[in-house]
Amino acid sequence: MFMKTFEEKWTAWLDGQLTGKELADFEASLPDKGAAEAEKSDARKLGAFLKQELGARTLSNEEFFSNQLREQIARESAQQDRHGGRSTWWTIPRLVWTGAASLSLFLICALVVMREKNPAEQSAYLTQILNMRVDAAVSPNATISVFEAKKDRVTVIWTEGLQSLPADYAAK
Amino acid sequence: MQVRSLLLTVVVALVMSTANSTRGAETVWSGLVIADNVAQPSTTPSELKRLEQALKELFGYNQFNIIGQSSKTLKTGEEDWLASSKYFSLHVDSRGETSAGYHLNLKLYKEKELLLETEAKLSKSSPLVIKGPQVGGGQLLLVLIVE
Repeated sequence: MFMKTFEEKWTAWLDGQLTGKELADFEASLPDKGAAEAEKSDARKLGAFLKQELGARTLSNEEFFSNQLREQIARESAQQDRHGGRSTWWTIPRLVWTGAASLSLFLICALVVMREKNPAEQSAYLTQILNMRVDAAVSPNATISVFEAKKDRVTVIWTEGLQSLPADYAAK
Repeated sequence: MQVRSLLLTVVVALVMSTANSTRGAETVWSGLVIADNVAQPSTTPSELKRLEQALKELFGYNQFNIIGQSSKTLKTGEEDWLASSKYFSLHVDSRGETSAGYHLNLKLYKEKELLLETEAKLSKSSPLVIKGPQVGGGQLLLVLIVE
């Protein structure tokens, strides 16, 4: 307990922090005050030297933030390295499968379109008249023409010269 | 994941091919229509509503009356039926179905006398109208529509 108190007072004395009665009591307790003063002087010189040569340099604000950023980047890089680099959904096998699926879809669509446009089948959107005839004995001067009306895409077979009939034939 | 992609591809291909090839049972409406001009035309029958404007513009009449009709749902595509009035009858013989439509043979009879005959591929999106003989002050029209 005494040693600790002495060491504390010794350190405070070296730092020049003892004053008044406490200073006088401590100096009176020193066995060799001259040697102690020399040691105090040496300690102060050493402290000044160390402070001058080894003191931590204070960082400015810019340097502080720059340092923080560098550390964060270094941390993230290390994390990515641990996980085997940057992860993405588009792996090589997935790219291959996606390409194959797209190509299949394209081929299917192309086949569908080609089948729709097959000239042998013609358009499925128009009614086609393959042949037409009227009874020449009944209507010898009859003529037939076929056309498509733009409105409602109606296909019309237009006959002229058919034998006219009395109104009675309009009966249900 | 690879198996899932393959399955997806197959499913899409099947859906597309099915959608393209499937044609449900369709109904063909065939009618004998008398078109004429009157001062106060009656309402156009519902069967002809979608064609009303086109018929008016094509033939120049303002009234359309159905004197005979038939509505046939085709299952095999190879059926035949008759739409008839008192004096006329339209015999329709469906001879099969192609991507272009139904292959039909049409015969219009006046009583037992064949007036005209035609073969057509009737498309769902293209109704067929045949201008028949003059009847009194009007005109007989044969109309075929895939509904």
